[in-house]
Amino acid sequence: MNDRPELFRGNRIFLACIYWAFVLYVFVPLILMVLMGFKDSRFIGFPIRSWTLEWYTGVFADTEVLSTFGYSIAIAVLSTLISILVGTWIAVLLEGRKFAGRGLTFGLTLLPALVPGIISAIAFRIYARWLGIEPGMGAIVWAHAVHNVPFVVLVVMARLSTLPKSQIEAARDLGADPLITFLRITLPYLVPAILGASIFCLLLSFDDFVRSFFLGGYEPTLPVMIFAMLRSGMSPEINAIATVALVLTAAIGLWAERFTRRMNKER
Amino acid sequence: MTYDASTRRDGQSAGSTAADRTFWGRLSAWGPYHALMRLTTASPRRQFLILAAFPILWVLTQHLGPMLQMLRVSLTDAYPVAPGVEQSFTLDNYARFFGDSIFWMPFFRTLTFAGVFTFCTLIITYPVAYFLARHVSRKNQMLFLLLLLIPFWVGEIVRTYAIMILLGNTGAVNLALKTLGLIDRPIPFMYTSFSMGVGIVYLTALYMLLPLYSALEKLPQSMNEAAADLGAGAWTRFRRVSLPLTIEGISSGCTLVFLISTGFYATPVLLGGPSTTVFAETIAGFFHVAGDEWPTGAAFATIMFLAALIITTVFQRLMKMLRKGESA
Repeated sequence: MNDRPELFRGNRIFLACIYWAFVLYVFVPLILMVLMGFKDSRFIGFPIRSWTLEWYTGVFADTEVLSTFGYSIAIAVLSTLISILVGTWIAVLLEGRKFAGRGLTFGLTLLPALVPGIISAIAFRIYARWLGIEPGMGAIVWAHAVHNVPFVVLVVMARLSTLPKSQIEAARDLGADPLITFLRITLPYLVPAILGASIFCLLLSFDDFVRSFFLGGYEPTLPVMIFAMLRSGMSPEINAIATVALVLTAAIGLWAERFTRRMNKER
Repeated sequence: MTYDASTRRDGQSAGSTAADRTFWGRLSAWGPYHALMRLTTASPRRQFLILAAFPILWVLTQHLGPMLQMLRVSLTDAYPVAPGVEQSFTLDNYARFFGDSIFWMPFFRTLTFAGVFTFCTLIITYPVAYFLARHVSRKNQMLFLLLLLIPFWVGEIVRTYAIMILLGNTGAVNLALKTLGLIDRPIPFMYTSFSMGVGIVYLTALYMLLPLYSALEKLPQSMNEAAADLGAGAWTRFRRVSLPLTIEGISSGCTLVFLISTGFYATPVLLGGPSTTVFAETIAGFFHVAGDEWPTGAAFATIMFLAALIITTVFQRLMKMLRKGESA
């Protein structure tokens, strides 16, 4: 923030315009897509003259759509549990510890996050086949879990670095062993980071297309189903499904944002 | 971070205290648990090995393993191997890439597109990040940032679809232009490199915005004020103060966006056309058909990964040199 705003007023107005134009750029497409889901015509396009809820009622009467939602959520939850467990463990190993090969381990930890989507999907597909994992739920859960581990590690390490060493030492001096110290001191301290990372993993998994597409069996996840529908043309049902997915992800994201901010204030 | 088992014993011999009646007290006094702890924490070295074994095993088998397996398959003549057939190693899959323009054209197109789209993302998000970091009060910064975060929680496919609706022949943009009387017939935005660019910038903008924002936020305001007092105009201040001091943010943002852009598959399929086939589509083609094309697909994915890695490494080196040059 400027201490002397008069110095930069011209810039400020110019930059504010760019900011709000950018806000429009990121919001308008989504708003239009939502509106189109209420249009009383099978034809996707403007203008919209009359409105209907028909597409929503149709979609929610469709058990296949509902089971796809359930399938995607189940994959997200399972893969998140694995990512959190593994990611926290790796973070505890890496944070504040010096050992031979630490840099290499850290680099390898971040690898799945840096490999471009299609390549990561292909590599997982080949590896799954080598391990004998059939395409399907197990394969998707595994790929999502591995892909999301780096994000958990980064978030948990950041939190861990702020843990006062004195607390650990005090617990040790009172005779607690390393495991109990971890469970009673370190873990409770990490809770906000773990919750934040969980939400992030849930969203990453729920939104992921490329890994689910290449590792999936006959049952599609939500993004894969929308993709398949889109390949046979736009339809208002897609708008209804996409809108529900949008509301779900945005609501979870917003809630998590508020939650982590409250947690940080309490710290 | 070492634990001495003798401390633990002394603690226990202190007799029945309030701690012993809690769950944790009882757990640590429980024979088998106590024995296990003494075994696992006998020496700092053993304690470290027990902590480190699983993470190291995980990153080697789960993070590195798939990449190495992909590399191995790319060097074989058939995968999976039919029973009774000897698998042999070959470089034919790599040779195939250079043999046909149908393969290397999409490859170079992908790298060009990724470069151009990364640059566009940088140009678009830099002023936004600048505004957020320098012109919004601390209190409101989180709110303004949050406003931009919301659309980015929405998935890749949903946002790609939103762009399809925006840019279609009967889409909002064409309708607006028609209403304004600027065009008679709709402009065919869709299935071109333009629609693909709009989509990819839309998907990657946040990965550029956040590194830029954190770099700009650290920049001391006094520098800009000093420059202004010395008579530097807005453009000079940007070029001589803000830009050199945020090179690190630009470098990491561009690297991230470039890597992500090269990896998109669904977005080019949905927003692009026959003239904009990207390498991800070429690679995917080998995996849609069963079996024997996999080694070629693996080789192509390896080529792509190496190219992306080399480009981003060279780019980061250049940016580092640039930064050193500026500060010298």
